[in-house]
Amino acid sequence: MSSKADAAIIDLLRKLNRNVEIVSRKLERLIEVERSAGGHALRPSVSVPENMPLDVTTLLGLPDHLRKSALALASLGEATATDLSKETSRVRAVESDYLNQLVAMSLVKKKRKGRDVYFYIES
Amino acid sequence: MAFHSYKGGTGKTSLVVNLGALFAKQGANVCLLDYDFRAPSLNVLFKAKPQYWLNDYLEGKCEIVDTLVDQSARFKLPGKLWVGFSNPSLEALKDIMGKDRKWEVKALTKTLAGKKEIIKDKQVDYLIYDTSPGAQYSSINALAGADLVSLVMKADEFDLEGTKELSKGVYEALGRKSGIVLNKIPLEQIAAGGGAESFGKQIESDVGLPLVGLIPCMCELMAMGGKAIYTIEKPDHTFSKSIGQIAEKLKKM
Repeated sequence: MSSKADAAIIDLLRKLNRNVEIVSRKLERLIEVERSAGGHALRPSVSVPENMPLDVTTLLGLPDHLRKSALALASLGEATATDLSKETSRVRAVESDYLNQLVAMSLVKKKRKGRDVYFYIES
Repeated sequence: MAFHSYKGGTGKTSLVVNLGALFAKQGANVCLLDYDFRAPSLNVLFKAKPQYWLNDYLEGKCEIVDTLVDQSARFKLPGKLWVGFSNPSLEALKDIMGKDRKWEVKALTKTLAGKKEIIKDKQVDYLIYDTSPGAQYSSINALAGADLVSLVMKADEFDLEGTKELSKGVYEALGRKSGIVLNKIPLEQIAAGGGAESFGKQIESDVGLPLVGLIPCMCELMAMGGKAIYTIEKPDHTFSKSIGQIAEKLKKM
């Protein structure tokens, strides 16, 4: 095998190694998020009947971790996951996951403004 | 903070008015909001005719600060005493009862936004909600807006059971700090239970919330209800002293 081919293989292996490191870091992050959320972050979404508005009755029926996010969002009006994490003192990735669960339940809406994603309660 | 109860007639409004007036008398800036939209009563005591009601704010017809009326000059208080009134007209009561859940979502977000606006615009030290008894939408909206909830109850079995339910199902769920104010305690009950402190400890253990205050039953207060602010007019009265003790406990919570 030529030294040129060797160099190409070594370069490919380096790239593969970098990608494995990235995946590994992401997995470690996910595990960390799951731990800090007390096992809630990777659970499937809680189901609520369709077209339920996010009023206090719905709020009181939510599990504690989602209620905290929803109540903080109701207080901020419109916020990014970073804004919410400051309000709830939880890590951004956890808030992002919870907010997206609320979006999946049609209780919260989201929109993009430039590079940021904003969550809000439609009233 | 919010004053709430399972049943009506526990003395929330009287507590809210006297406590608010006491804080303002001590130099603090206070705002009282009548969130009892189904049975408004602050307007009776303050004899107010505001330009805008809190109902107008929730409908988006004005800013929340437009609903506030300053009562401090009238009572010669060193601190400000702002009051936001809810509309007592039959038309307004019917209107509130006909609201749907979507409107209640708006009411919740406006309640939370209004709290921030008042604190920012009026520099208030204490914002106090007077609420409807039970699990009414407007009450729970106010509880969601409060950092501290005082549960006002009378010492009878019906009150106790309902209060326990509220404590678990609402206050705990909303994650709010809460305490109990035991009001209108019959003197015989205190004597039979070995004194007010012992009676209070029993209630504290039954409901599972800390006791913030004990107020004996006074016929005189019932007769004067809605006509006088004791902490201003009769500062040495037993009721005013009880309110003073409650104020000190609330400040530490």
